[in-house]
Amino acid sequence: MIELLLAAILVLAVYAMLTRDLLHGTIALSALSLLSALAFAVLKAPDVAITEAAVGAGVSTVVFVWAIRATERMEKQ
Amino acid sequence: MPTRLAALASVLAAAFALWPLFALDVAWPGTVRDYLEAKGTVESGAMNLVSAIYLGYRAYDTLGETVVLLVAVTGAIGMMAAGSALAPREAGGAPVEPARSPRREARSRQRTELIAALSGKLGAVILIFGLYVMLYGHVSPGGGFQGGVVVASGIVFLALGSHGAAPSPLVGARNLARIESAGFAILLVAACLGVASGKGFLAPPLPGGDPVSFIIVLNAVIGIKVGAGIGLLCVAMLTEEAA
Repeated sequence: MIELLLAAILVLAVYAMLTRDLLHGTIALSALSLLSALAFAVLKAPDVAITEAAVGAGVSTVVFVWAIRATERMEKQ
Repeated sequence: MPTRLAALASVLAAAFALWPLFALDVAWPGTVRDYLEAKGTVESGAMNLVSAIYLGYRAYDTLGETVVLLVAVTGAIGMMAAGSALAPREAGGAPVEPARSPRREARSRQRTELIAALSGKLGAVILIFGLYVMLYGHVSPGGGFQGGVVVASGIVFLALGSHGAAPSPLVGARNLARIESAGFAILLVAACLGVASGKGFLAPPLPGGDPVSFIIVLNAVIGIKVGAGIGLLCVAMLTEEAA
């Protein structure tokens, strides 16, 4: 279970670094936070899981998405 | 390729830093851990050992964390204020309205109804849950920081539900800033009360009062301060975009 979660987290982290689209990267980071919150809950650290879910998947995603909204695309799709 | 080289170097550095953890077979220091495991919940009265440690034994660290958060929010708001001051202005002093592409306008019109209908109502539920996490941090997982961040997401939902404008006074940036400052002031006063009554900095000030009630008070104050701070940051971003 935990190995599966960690592997998915690793894949999401690499994808977030390599993707050219900032929005895709942000959503990958948000999913990463959700999975790591699940991992913390599996490892019996519910306090950290609540923090990770609220900060990582919630507030920081909002901040990133709003920062990206203030930018313009440089390249043609 | 410099990026590859930097990536390789950082992986090597991480391996070098983590290697002693795996290579050494010296036992971890366990005195404090064993003490806290045996006595932590009894001495502080908090069932949740995490809360017992971070407000009962290490409240000074928690105070430092709230200062870090305060400085971070202040810095971010200051950067945003400087950014809008540097924005191009007309001769009269009014900010130049940036030309909006029709696609973006269509997109922002698309999002309004669905998000406003949903998130305005979800916000209240999330606020209640945040208050629960904050106030019951001594018996269940959670505490001031966690509850505060959940409260902040509730504030963000309320702000999203109102098209980026401030509907209720709670979501106004000015009020949130006031709440955060007041919360920090109350936290400092509560920390110093113990000094006045001779118990020591951050000690439960009341004579005969059990420490768990002080933990509840600290949790509530920290939660309100953190929620107002992070909520202020998000609300400032949302309303600046709308303006």
